[in-house]
Amino acid sequence: MDIFSNLWLGASTAFLPMNLLYGFVGCLLGTAIGVLPGLGPTATIAMLLPITFGLPPESALIMLAGIFYGAQYGGSTTAILINLPGESSSVVTAIDGYQMARNGRAGAALATAALGSFFAGTVATILLAMAAPPLAAVALNFGPAEYFSLMVLGLVASVALASGSLLKAMAMIVFGLMLGTVGTDVESGTPRYVFDIPELYDGLNFVAVSMGIFGICEILRNLECEQERSVGVKRVTGLMLTRSDFKRIIAPILRGTALGSFLGVLPGGGAMLASFASYAMEKRISPNRAEFGKGAIEGVAAPESANNAGAQTSFIPMLTLGIPGNPVMALMVGAMIMQGITPGPNVISDEPALFWGMIVSMWSGNLMLVILNLPLIGLWVRMLTVPYHLLFPAIIGFCCIGAYSINNSVFDVFVMAGFSVIGFALSKMRFEPAPLLLGFILGPMLEENLRRAMLISQGDPSIFLRSPLSLSLLIFAVVVLGLVLSPSISRKREEAFTE
Amino acid sequence: MLKIRNGRDFIGGVTMICAGLLFIWFGRNLEVGNSFQMGPGYFPTVLSLVLMAIGALIILQSLVVEAERVEPQRPNWKAYFLVILAPVGFGVLLSGLGLAPTMFFLIVGVATASRYANWRHSILLGLFLAVCSVLLFTRLLSLPISAFGPWVPFLGDLS
Repeated sequence: MDIFSNLWLGASTAFLPMNLLYGFVGCLLGTAIGVLPGLGPTATIAMLLPITFGLPPESALIMLAGIFYGAQYGGSTTAILINLPGESSSVVTAIDGYQMARNGRAGAALATAALGSFFAGTVATILLAMAAPPLAAVALNFGPAEYFSLMVLGLVASVALASGSLLKAMAMIVFGLMLGTVGTDVESGTPRYVFDIPELYDGLNFVAVSMGIFGICEILRNLECEQERSVGVKRVTGLMLTRSDFKRIIAPILRGTALGSFLGVLPGGGAMLASFASYAMEKRISPNRAEFGKGAIEGVAAPESANNAGAQTSFIPMLTLGIPGNPVMALMVGAMIMQGITPGPNVISDEPALFWGMIVSMWSGNLMLVILNLPLIGLWVRMLTVPYHLLFPAIIGFCCIGAYSINNSVFDVFVMAGFSVIGFALSKMRFEPAPLLLGFILGPMLEENLRRAMLISQGDPSIFLRSPLSLSLLIFAVVVLGLVLSPSISRKREEAFTE
Repeated sequence: MLKIRNGRDFIGGVTMICAGLLFIWFGRNLEVGNSFQMGPGYFPTVLSLVLMAIGALIILQSLVVEAERVEPQRPNWKAYFLVILAPVGFGVLLSGLGLAPTMFFLIVGVATASRYANWRHSILLGLFLAVCSVLLFTRLLSLPISAFGPWVPFLGDLS
């Protein structure tokens, strides 16, 4: 079988001592930031990106991926123990997980979360290994028109599934696309929006931009409603699950994994959506639904499996098509570009060691996390006692050095500062920063494909409708948009009528 | 009579229109070309127009749909000022002072943005992170910054 030789290649990359070490460091860092509230995976990955430039691409991406799924594990730990979700994807875990902890079953809840996540991670990794090559093979036949339509679909869907106002999310995408045009125009060599600043000829650096709008901006928001945390955690005992627990969690884990794997692939989906959806589903169909909210073990098992499955499968569009579905994947695309790898369907055939190595490392990383998390819970809880007023200056310090080290120039530090202001102003007006980053990363690719397609068709825009594939992608985008618009329109209308 | 029902969205829409106008203004010398031979100005101009259209829709919405009541956050101007100025100060001081003193001043300065900060903690944290960053970045990752810059007497430029 082909897949076995591929996985063997992956294993021989992922199990190199150096890559194992970077995977381990990534998982450890990811768990740590998952535990710490007020520091998300997007900001951390942006902060650590400059450090990975010196590493070989495999090690860099393995470590960054480890941070991402490590954060899913870490977030659940604090959600269960002290009702403080470290990540948005573990918000629903806190509902029943914390109740279980109060009933003295913290150990069982943590074990359920770990087992569910591990199972889901394994399944999602296998899914990724099986789905990616055929998908990439299809994408290899894509012309510029198909690529353009695919990107439009990706952007539209990421807006549709995001929270908040649809119009505002679209404005952010367009604004992000516009920011992507800063720098030298590839086709004509004309500098655009550079204001005679030599550093801008290469465009705005995405690391500096994302550190500004995610890292520094998060700090500004946190300082606004600053509260001292008081953490009181009892000793966690009894990690073993009883036989009846096992019986109760098998079905929710399976359902959570299936739902999470599906939602993760969708652009804009990923871990958060997966966990909310699977909790809602479980609440409706579980035979023990009366216990939900009072410490139902299903309420931990389902969302925890779903968020981990979603986190893994959100790599599928990124690795096979080069299209990121969420800000973390956008940063991964950026990291690949900085490593000199063009993201897209060619990655599998051009860089098989990188691709399969990453996949196998996801599985080994999940295993590490199970082993790492349960015995180290005491350490993670102690990390929570680090007060925020010591944490945020350190984050700012590392962001500054990180921005400087991109090109060894202070210009990127100023860009970061500038974008923290822009990001903060936008968040005050309730614009979400995530679509902006997606637009910013996809902007140059979108423009290039649009221009190529129009050159081929000699300026006839119907090229996007003549190719059946491109047409169906665009129709799908319109359908997605229509689906989201309809209920929100009716709701808005209701609001208008009640006056 | 039209009334602004959602002030925040109204400002948001106006901001988007202004952003579109700014891009059009600064890109006025870029050749737009036509849809067959797109010039460097084509894509940004089209996007600016789309952004302005979306901005107009947001304004329209703000006139029709009532804003939900939210408790306004009290702005913490001191924190905004310090946190945004910290990277700027870092950029200005880095080449002259070198990494260690810049880092120290950055940490101590920005820590005062928190209302729970105290000097002893901030100074200790500043020292700790200054040492850590010098070890990690100039020694381990060999960035081309010296620990102490030319402005620091005696120590400067030695390392």
